[in-house]
Amino acid sequence: MTNAIIEVVDACKSFGGLKAVKDVSFTVGAGEIFGIAGPNGSGKSTLFNLMTGIPYGPTSGEIRFDGTRIDRWPAHAIARSGLCRTFQKDAEFPDLTVLETLLVSAVYNGDLSASEAANEAQSVLELAQFDPNRVDMLSSELSVYEKKQLMIASALISKPKVLMLDEPASGLTKPEIAKLDALLLGVNRAGVTILLIEHVLSLLLSVSQRLIVLNQGAILAQGLPADVVKDPAVAEAYLGGGV
Amino acid sequence: MTPMIRNVVLPLAALIALALTPIFVIDSYTRHLFIIAFIYAIIASNWNLSLGQCGVFNFGHLTFFGVGVYTTAILAKTVGLNPLLAIAAAGVTAPIVAFLMAAPVARLKGIYVVLVTFAFSQLVMQLVLSQSQITGGAEGMVRIPYLKIGDYSFIRDYKLGYYYLCLGLLVVSTIFLILIARSPFGKSLKAVRDAEDYAVSRGISVSRQRVLALALSAIFTGVAGGFYAIYLRVASPEVFGFGTLTLALSMLLIGGVGTTYGPIVAALAISFATESLAGIRGFEEARYIVIAVAMILVLRLAPEGILGLFRRLTG
Repeated sequence: MTNAIIEVVDACKSFGGLKAVKDVSFTVGAGEIFGIAGPNGSGKSTLFNLMTGIPYGPTSGEIRFDGTRIDRWPAHAIARSGLCRTFQKDAEFPDLTVLETLLVSAVYNGDLSASEAANEAQSVLELAQFDPNRVDMLSSELSVYEKKQLMIASALISKPKVLMLDEPASGLTKPEIAKLDALLLGVNRAGVTILLIEHVLSLLLSVSQRLIVLNQGAILAQGLPADVVKDPAVAEAYLGGGV
Repeated sequence: MTPMIRNVVLPLAALIALALTPIFVIDSYTRHLFIIAFIYAIIASNWNLSLGQCGVFNFGHLTFFGVGVYTTAILAKTVGLNPLLAIAAAGVTAPIVAFLMAAPVARLKGIYVVLVTFAFSQLVMQLVLSQSQITGGAEGMVRIPYLKIGDYSFIRDYKLGYYYLCLGLLVVSTIFLILIARSPFGKSLKAVRDAEDYAVSRGISVSRQRVLALALSAIFTGVAGGFYAIYLRVASPEVFGFGTLTLALSMLLIGGVGTTYGPIVAALAISFATESLAGIRGFEEARYIVIAVAMILVLRLAPEGILGLFRRLTG
């Protein structure tokens, strides 16, 4: 692993008496694609939430990004520092067009002027493999896959160091997942570290260089994808006893 | 209908029609109705910036208007400042008050925003009532100096000067709102309104945008209040009352929340409709019931307002 860009140290999140995330610790190397797996309700999205502060931070523990502790920062400041995320459910600004969505992100997250944002939008849309004929469409009029592309493009336009993707393949067809696979590898080749939560194992195993598996809020296994899927505890807890 | 016709040609045609109106409408009463409608149009369209564009359920918007009324009244009458400067000063004090109101509501949501903003409005009204040596208390202030530029008095010529000044304020206010709506800041307000978490994840500070939206919405609302005080030559605590608030809110809702021109069209329509109903025997007091029913019907049948309905019908 190269230099750690993210360090999560004993992160916990409680909701009343429920501990949704329990003493989770891991590091992510710069330039890595790092996978996070686990059954429904295992705390994957909660982990993303407390890392990004959206909508809450950790109850205890530390989150370090690029050597700086960020777990008490306001959420928008975390995003502006270069830790940018997407959401499991379709997130969109329904009244904004594709270009306007990118403009907002470029100006507020990337500190670009409106004219710089317009230029940058073209290259980001190309990287996200977005149909250039549909840039004036309202976000609400896009297909599920296009919304995912836009969500990724709107993160990329601010040139994040780390892109955190929460189940980007949910709701996609097999050909679309194949395109997403190529897209993620392309983004990573461009120098962006990726954290990927994903239920579609074929995608997760295909692109991830390392993996953790969460179960009931705690890390069950971690290591290389090939080793993790052979772990009997993972097979029992996550895969129902067989791969 | 193309966006060019809808967003440029029709508004320009309406502006030309309003600019030519005093040629054909020479009685001061009808001109007075237009002036009051313009004032409400400024209030409602600026309210749309916080409520419609940013999604802040701000029920204290009329506070900014009231602050504008009293700022101008006190400066023009008590301090003796030129009325035109006193009106301009209202565009400074109202946003300052908006900042004070925005601070506690920036991180609140839904019904709590309604409660706090309305409570703030009542607080300001109580302040006005209690400081009677400055504000005139419950009786308000009267005989506020009228507007004069050189030798020209604005109360002459059947309110012609006031008509054009108020129309000018409405035009400048509308251009201001259009520029905001088209700017990255305006887009960010819609982002905050529609998907708060997503907006935050793109580096937007929700509380900062809400504070700014409230403060910006107060500038021309305050100026309209200042103009109102100089035009009617009175400042009364009634401007903080529920009646004024619901009338302006009905203009916003019927015109179309989230549209710039909708509240302006509704302000003109409702002002003249209520006045027409007042002239019909038996409808003098029932006109507000008619507005309430119209509001319910619009919200039920065309929640996007009459301008949204017009857009839908014209494709």
